[in-house]
Amino acid sequence: MVVLMFQVKGRPRTVAAVVFGLALMAGMVVSLIGQTPPAPRAVRVTAERFSFTPSEITVAPGAEIEFHLRSEDTAHGFRILGHQVDIAIPKRGRGEAIVRFVAPGPGKYTFECSRMCGAGHSFMRGTLIVKADAKGVR
Amino acid sequence: MMATKKVRLSAFFLLFCAIGPAASGQPASSDNPRTGPISGYMEMHLNAPVTREDGDAILDFHRFVLLFNHSFSDRLRFIGELEIAHAFVEGLEEAGEIELEQAYIDVLINPAFNLRGGMMLVPVGIINERHEPPVFNGVERPFVDTVIIPTTWFEGGAGVHGRLGSVLSYRAYVMAPLDATEFSADEGLRGGLQKGGRSNIRNAAYTGRLEYTQVPGLTVGLSGWRGDSGFNIPRLNPTVGLVEMDGRYRRNGFEFRAQFARVFIGDAARLNDALTLLIGVNPNIARQLQGYYLEASRLFSVNRWGHEVSVFGRYESFDTQFRLPAGALPFPEFDRHAWTAGGAYFLDPDVAVKVDYTHQGSAGTLRRAPRTLNVGLGWWF
Repeated sequence: MVVLMFQVKGRPRTVAAVVFGLALMAGMVVSLIGQTPPAPRAVRVTAERFSFTPSEITVAPGAEIEFHLRSEDTAHGFRILGHQVDIAIPKRGRGEAIVRFVAPGPGKYTFECSRMCGAGHSFMRGTLIVKADAKGVR
Repeated sequence: MMATKKVRLSAFFLLFCAIGPAASGQPASSDNPRTGPISGYMEMHLNAPVTREDGDAILDFHRFVLLFNHSFSDRLRFIGELEIAHAFVEGLEEAGEIELEQAYIDVLINPAFNLRGGMMLVPVGIINERHEPPVFNGVERPFVDTVIIPTTWFEGGAGVHGRLGSVLSYRAYVMAPLDATEFSADEGLRGGLQKGGRSNIRNAAYTGRLEYTQVPGLTVGLSGWRGDSGFNIPRLNPTVGLVEMDGRYRRNGFEFRAQFARVFIGDAARLNDALTLLIGVNPNIARQLQGYYLEASRLFSVNRWGHEVSVFGRYESFDTQFRLPAGALPFPEFDRHAWTAGGAYFLDPDVAVKVDYTHQGSAGTLRRAPRTLNVGLGWWF
């Protein structure tokens, strides 16, 4: 154990105030360093001709979601309409695509396959439901 | 001797299919395949009857299909599918054909309710809407999806589609009907497809499908068709109905499929009488047709290039004279069944070399049902 000792010149009240202020700042710094942002919620989505599973995902406004997307067959795409999310999903056995998304305000948002995947490509859509009483990700 | 030659030919075709991509010494695909605005699928088949009585081996570039898509906006989309069947097209009946299987506009309103109009696939069964070669087992499509459900079944029309909640999807269309004068005893409804070319729409047909997907890996479907189909016959308008149920379950590399379909043809006795007057022979069209199949398969990953192997077995029963009009006698050769066993080597999830052996049988004794060794090369891009 190491004990540091030092002498502060000046009036006792002033010294006490300085010590208190330093302690407060140190506490804040330690608190900020120790505080890590909440981890994004992982949502695993499987794509196959011609559906996403799950096809309906419910989250709270502001929740950060990390989509893990994999395919059971050919390459697909994952695009959330009206937002900057549009990512290719690799073919079966070629790993997964990961994309993060912060849920906007309450509402229903459509996601769809953005890569032509077969005769029923247009059926491949789902809904991201953002509502205030959603607990985490469902 | 003949059989040996056919086996050699099959082996050569198989070797050709397998060596091509492997000869480069490179994986057959990368993680980032290059794609363009055109997609499609192709399949080439070698069908080799095992015995001489069943005829010669046939090498057929069966389907060359291109899909086109264009989004006018997030809510307005065009999709087209153009097929050349049997590679060569000329003006004779037995030659190949060009078919416009899909060409529709989707108005995407929300996931629960969307509008569609144009040339569309009839939403019946597993295969009709999912017929890309790497998707189904076997070189040829199941017999039930050939003579009971006449895939690829497409027609002009309009309708709605969408998803209700997280577990139920639907489509419901109004389409041009079938033409009952072209039905037959051995191929069922197939000849009656109008295929969207100057289709007679004196009557409308209604068709729809529900798919239930509550359990991960499980899809259960229910579909149907109903339409009056007698526009070519005076004072006769047989109603044609079709009900179909199917299920698919996939888990840990295993997949199980089952499908059942029954067709109802109203006024079949009067239809046969009317056609006898027209063509001089009683076509013996049934009042009910029925078919089903059960299939199990297993997919394995086999090497560092990500190649895969699948094996499967399928049993089918299909009878195009399941119930005949009163007084008519069935031809037992149309009460058929088939065992098919085989597998596929996937050079890529979208490129499959397929091999299978099909052993058909029937309730009749007049004509022996064929046994065939099939080899196929199919791909999607």
